[in-house]
Amino acid sequence: MSKDKKKKSLRYSLIRPISNEKWQPISIPFVSIIISFIAAAIVILLIGKNPLQAFYNLFQGAGILPKPSYAGYKSMLTDFLSLLNAMTPLVFASLAVAVAFRAGLFNIGVSGQMLVSGFLATIIVGYSGLDAIIAKPLVLLIGMVAGGLMGGLVGWLKYKFNINEVVTTIMLNYIAQYVISFFIQMYYIDPVSRQSKYISEAARLTLVNVEIANLKMDIPLGFILAIITAILIKFVMDKTVVGFEIKAVGNNRNAAKYAGIKVGRNTVLAMVISGGLAGLAGVTYYLGYFSSIQPKVLSSIGFDSIAVSLLGNSHPIGVIFSSFLVSIIDQGSTYMSSQAGIRQEISSVIIGLILLFSACGAYLKHKVSRLKEKEVDQKESES
Amino acid sequence: MDTIIIDGLSFALPLFIIAIGGIYSEKSGITNLALEGFQGFGAFIGAMSAVLIANAFGTDIQNLFYVALLFAMIGGMGFSIIHAVLSIKFKADQVISGVVINILALALTTFLTTQINALVFGAASDKFRLGVSERFTIEGVANIPVIGAVFTNVYPFEVIIIVIAFFAWYLLYKTKFGMRLRASGENPHSVDAAGVNVSKIRFSAVLISGLLSGLGGMCFAYSISANFSSNIYMGYGFLAIAALIFGNWRILPTLAACLLFGFAKSGGAFIAQSMALPSSFTDLFMILPYVLTLLLLIFFSKSNRAPRALGEIYDKGKR
Repeated sequence: MSKDKKKKSLRYSLIRPISNEKWQPISIPFVSIIISFIAAAIVILLIGKNPLQAFYNLFQGAGILPKPSYAGYKSMLTDFLSLLNAMTPLVFASLAVAVAFRAGLFNIGVSGQMLVSGFLATIIVGYSGLDAIIAKPLVLLIGMVAGGLMGGLVGWLKYKFNINEVVTTIMLNYIAQYVISFFIQMYYIDPVSRQSKYISEAARLTLVNVEIANLKMDIPLGFILAIITAILIKFVMDKTVVGFEIKAVGNNRNAAKYAGIKVGRNTVLAMVISGGLAGLAGVTYYLGYFSSIQPKVLSSIGFDSIAVSLLGNSHPIGVIFSSFLVSIIDQGSTYMSSQAGIRQEISSVIIGLILLFSACGAYLKHKVSRLKEKEVDQKESES
Repeated sequence: MDTIIIDGLSFALPLFIIAIGGIYSEKSGITNLALEGFQGFGAFIGAMSAVLIANAFGTDIQNLFYVALLFAMIGGMGFSIIHAVLSIKFKADQVISGVVINILALALTTFLTTQINALVFGAASDKFRLGVSERFTIEGVANIPVIGAVFTNVYPFEVIIIVIAFFAWYLLYKTKFGMRLRASGENPHSVDAAGVNVSKIRFSAVLISGLLSGLGGMCFAYSISANFSSNIYMGYGFLAIAALIFGNWRILPTLAACLLFGFAKSGGAFIAQSMALPSSFTDLFMILPYVLTLLLLIFFSKSNRAPRALGEIYDKGKR
């Protein structure tokens, strides 16, 4: 009897931290992350390494914790800035997925939209020799417009011809990949690196090797823009008519139609916004994090962003935190593998596990509320 | 001309069997974007067992083709349990679950491939070498013009796929199980009212999709790529999804869609080759299947209709 009671109280203490519904959007992803780190720790233990040291190295490599020694011109700050640099395209891409998701659309084509906008910005501005003052805003503009048009095309095909957006985006991904690979290999190839020629420094959205206080750092200008954009998207989604209509269409197409909301227009609009954000991801990736394009390769960011957006509950601010976490694991993995002797590929396994467990979030929520109800019932019957 | 048919078929049929898996899952009401992950993981398990068995018993890896196929099917099915549990038992969003499984499959198989290669063979290679499966030609029939190409240089797996596909067609459209499965995707409540367990039906549908995807993935590994590496995640699973949506969630039109993909792909490669263009032009011809699909969809999509309960979490209490 007492054992049973003990078990119950243990269970209660476990669910208590996440039973508060107000905090559940934060607490449940948090619990998923902890569970997945435990799972990853087991994997690392199985291959005979120390998981705590591995995780510590991970944070060191990402510039969150100090390393024991640094190479010349490097410090924790430079590591942290490269983390932000890598994170910027991911934030934009995840926002793109989140906006489409809110409208009930599924944008798998982020990679393709990124590639097209990155490519156009590269050939129009990157090779032009314009001054930085004109070049940088122009890059952003081209990225937004190119991505937006491509997203809009997907929305229009869906609205006009009832073509499932999943299929369109997949097809467009392939088409973009091959066509751009063709143009790069025909006209813009750098024979040494086997990639497109490097763009001019003026057009690049990341300032590379800036010397400040005896440190050489990469300053990602796009990062600030990414944060502003996330807040802006939150504002548009929560406080404006446009956002309300998009969400209404996403929640129930028929109800929205019945309420007089133009479903077609909002479908296209949501995809234009989503594509535009993907375009920004593209330019911050190909003209910021990198400065050239590898032919025939779609960046994995487009697919990762789907999951990152989910981890952040498709919420603009949540997306910032989830991409921060995923970028830490990604960026820290090189240092971890060199220090702890664990293969670098484990980092993507950890990310995969985090996403897997956060997909179970709804179940966790459901279970917790069930347990709470039981608790209440029991107390009532006891008294 | 013959090469177009030969190469087209050997690409279209594995795609077709993956798409059939997708049809099973989606007809039962479970959105399945995880086909990509299933086929990759299945191929991984198949390739791993083939390589390990060949290493342990010293047999030639060519002879282990059927063993690999078997293990690939088991592996794909085993991995699909995750999707089934997540989307049926845990009531997770099916789209999200599918995407997560794809990411996990890529991460796990790349990690495990290097790990196993380092442990067993002492070399940190990221691929399992398999070689290309042997082909056979049916003499006599092969001499008929045009049609004969269908019987020339056939991979054994093409025959297996056709047999399994026929069986899958029969199971889905002519049996009680198939009827219940299709009903689960249209109106799960009526299935429930008839005293059938919807969750069980959907669970088995997802497992079937994993099994068939694993088979398809292994066939790709044994023909196009001749090894297992992360290159198996070329988007075949997504292409299969496109094919099944194009085929309006029915098996025969989906076969047509897959054949279209296959022939457009091999046709494009053939044109590029016969015009003796520089290799970068091949890329331009590679878009042929995708552009064709988009154009055809514009004409044929109006009547397209997904299973009504697709992607919805089944809730007994809901009306």
